[in-house]
Amino acid sequence: MIMTSDFDDTLFPNLNHPEMIEVGVGELAIGQHPRYLMTPALGSCVGLCLWDAALKQGGLAHVMLPTTLDSMTNGTERRFASFAVAEMVHLLHEAGSPRRRLVAKMAGGATMFRTEGTMAHIGERNAAEVKRQLDLLSIPLIAEDTGERHARTLELRLDTGEMVVRSYLYGVHRL
Amino acid sequence: MRLENLSELQMDALREVGNIGAGHAATALSQMTGSPISLSNPALELVEFSAVPMLVGGAERLVAAAYCRLLGDIGGGMLLMAPRESALALIDLLHNREVGTTVSFGHAEEMLLTHVSTILSSAYLAAIARMTDMNLLPAPPSFVLDMAGAILQVATLETGMRADMALLVRTSFSDERTTVDVMLFFLPDPDSLDVILGRLGVA
Repeated sequence: MIMTSDFDDTLFPNLNHPEMIEVGVGELAIGQHPRYLMTPALGSCVGLCLWDAALKQGGLAHVMLPTTLDSMTNGTERRFASFAVAEMVHLLHEAGSPRRRLVAKMAGGATMFRTEGTMAHIGERNAAEVKRQLDLLSIPLIAEDTGERHARTLELRLDTGEMVVRSYLYGVHRL
Repeated sequence: MRLENLSELQMDALREVGNIGAGHAATALSQMTGSPISLSNPALELVEFSAVPMLVGGAERLVAAAYCRLLGDIGGGMLLMAPRESALALIDLLHNREVGTTVSFGHAEEMLLTHVSTILSSAYLAAIARMTDMNLLPAPPSFVLDMAGAILQVATLETGMRADMALLVRTSFSDERTTVDVMLFFLPDPDSLDVILGRLGVA
C-alpha cells in the first residue's frame, strides 16, 4: 500500500489541515493533489468520490436525496444524486479530466434510525440512485462501503485515489 | 409558516407550552425513578440545522440520540440528543448514583434513555395537544449512538428539507447533587407549525 507522508491514522485527525477541502452536507467540490477532499458525518447521505489517475485530481459529493422529485427548493440541486453526479463529471471535464478516465468509489447510505417513516430506506435509495447515475455515464464503481447502521466520515486522497472511511464502529478503513 | 419567521409573541406561546411540558415530564420521571428529579424551565431557541453540530462540538462528536416521529394531527419528529458523557451522567442521575458510575452503553442504558425520550416527547406533546385541542402521539422512538452530523441529517430529511431551522429546547435535569443538560429538537413540518400556531391563537 502506498502511504502518503502526511497520512493521519488517528480516528478523527486534524480538521484544519491546510491541504484539506471540506465538503459540507449537500455540497460538492473538486480538487487536485496535494490537496485532498473530506466530508464529515455521512448518515443516510452518500459520499461519492470520482478520481482521475492521470491528473491526480478528483471530486467529492455529499448527496442527501436521490432525485429532485423528493422535494426541491431553488438553489439546492447539489443535494440530489440525479444532479450532483453529472455536475461533478462536468466540473472535472472542464478541469481536464474526461469522463472515460474517471473511476468512482462511494460510502454512506446508512439507516441511522430503525423507525419507519417517510424517509425509510432513504440511505439505500441514495446509494441506488448514485449507482444508476454512474451507470448512465459509464463510470466504473470500483469500491463501495454502504448500508448498515453507522455514520461515516469520508476522505478522498487525490494522489492515490484512496478512499478513507472513518467510523466509530469499525475505525479507519482504506478502500 | 417557516420557523425563522416566528414572532416574539409566537415564541412566547411556544415557550409557555414548553414550561407546562417540562412540569409534566419532571413529575413522570420522579415517579418512574422514585427520587425527586426536576427539570429546568426549558430555554427555547431557533437554530439553523447547519449550526447544530457545532453546539455539540462538531459533526463527528459522539452523541446519544433518540428520535420519534409524530403521529396524529401533525407531522414531523422529535429528537432528544446529548453528548455521550452527558447521556451517561443522565443515566446515573436517574439511577440516583454518583456520576461516573455508568461508563458505557448497554441494552439497559439504551432502553432507559429511550424511555426518557418517550416521557419527554409525550409530556411536551400532551401540553401542545391540550392547549390546541389536537390529537398528538409520539411513534415508538429509536436509539442511536453515533456522529452528531449523521443523526441530524435524518432530522433534516424528515422535515422534508423545507425547513432549515429547528426549534431547540434546551433543558436540564437535576437532583440534589447533579445537573445534566440535554437538547430536544422539535421538528414540525412547516404546515404543521401553522396549525399549532393557529390553534394557540397567535397565527
